[in-house]
Amino acid sequence: MRTLYVSQQNCYVSLQKETLIVKQGEIVQGQVQLPLLEQILIFGKSQVSTQAIRACLWREIPIVYLSRMGYCYGRILPIGRGYRQLCRYQQQLTQTERLITARGIVQAKLKNSRVLLRRQRRRQESELLEKVLQGLDHLVSQVAIADNWDRLMGFEGAGAAQYFSVFGECLTNPEFVFVGRSRRPPGNPVNAILSFGYQVLWNHLLALIELQGLDPYYACLHEGSERHAALASDLIEEFRAPIVDSLVLWLVNKNVMNAQNDFEYRDGGCYLNDLGRKKYLKAFLQRMEEEVQIDDGNKQPRWHLLTTQVKAYKQFVYNPAQVYQPYLIR
Amino acid sequence: MLLYVVAYDIPCDKRRKKVSDLLEGYGIRVQYSVFECVLTVSQYNELHQRLRKKVKLSEDKIRFYPLSAHTLNQIQVWGGPPVTEIPGSTII
Repeated sequence: MRTLYVSQQNCYVSLQKETLIVKQGEIVQGQVQLPLLEQILIFGKSQVSTQAIRACLWREIPIVYLSRMGYCYGRILPIGRGYRQLCRYQQQLTQTERLITARGIVQAKLKNSRVLLRRQRRRQESELLEKVLQGLDHLVSQVAIADNWDRLMGFEGAGAAQYFSVFGECLTNPEFVFVGRSRRPPGNPVNAILSFGYQVLWNHLLALIELQGLDPYYACLHEGSERHAALASDLIEEFRAPIVDSLVLWLVNKNVMNAQNDFEYRDGGCYLNDLGRKKYLKAFLQRMEEEVQIDDGNKQPRWHLLTTQVKAYKQFVYNPAQVYQPYLIR
Repeated sequence: MLLYVVAYDIPCDKRRKKVSDLLEGYGIRVQYSVFECVLTVSQYNELHQRLRKKVKLSEDKIRFYPLSAHTLNQIQVWGGPPVTEIPGSTII
């Protein structure tokens, strides 16, 4: 997805012919060709001129407003872009169809977490890690027979807790410590990157879901409500480990992130600052644009994996007999 | 996505400005009246439609050359910017 990320503060986005100009004070920070753009993400306090907003509405380019840590406040969409198209089919999915899909999603999440940890294990042996791998295996089999959502969410939570209990062992950079997942607010740098990373990926998935005409408020695993775009939360599960977690490990272990300079402490939590956000986004893009081999043997940028899953979900909605197959690390 | 070379010859200043403004949105100017655009099929069609409204074909000339992967590797650039690549995202 060709995206304009405005992660610096106090920028001004204006329209000039077919181009968006991003200025910070009098300095032009960047220019983007509007016809080739797919979405705009604005982190924190920057302005977009009405002319630019109108041009984006016209071209169906969503403008997403996020907090500096990536929480999505809302988005500007053209009035013609509703969720009417597939919404009816999504509402007609039966409880059983939704439960089967929800199970598949949780299993894929657990399996992908397991693969990530196992790959780390090759580098360092640890008894604890071994135990967690077995625990995750056990949970995968439990999920397969979970007969209600409470159980399913319970297994999912247990899996996440086990996974994050050893995630810290995969970090080899002594500057960063991770003992457990903390969020709202994230308590330390590693948690800050994880939170920001999930938020960014979540928003990309939301955009792709809307692009495919699916209603993001109807989902299988997460309880949808008018306040929660649950489908994005469903589809992010299978990608957390392969996309965000592995990127975080790389950023930390390869010393790309700096524990002193890239973070700020405020409101009782730890967050990425201007520098850190930019670093993360750059690495994220690089990773997403990297070509990976897909099922038919061809090579596609990693973005393609996300689009494929959203399309697969759409197929499932049209034809629930064709079960949704989540993404599994090859 | 394909690389298209778009070359125009437009005598009227006003129309030429409009065409060049439009092309600035879709590609990179590599010579005074030559653009290179890397576009999807739908973007290419959109460009066609919008350009069509701005030109007067009794006086103006525009050519579009799509380049196949085969010939793409054989492009030679003497002076000026390198061959236009797939546009990426922008971080500010």
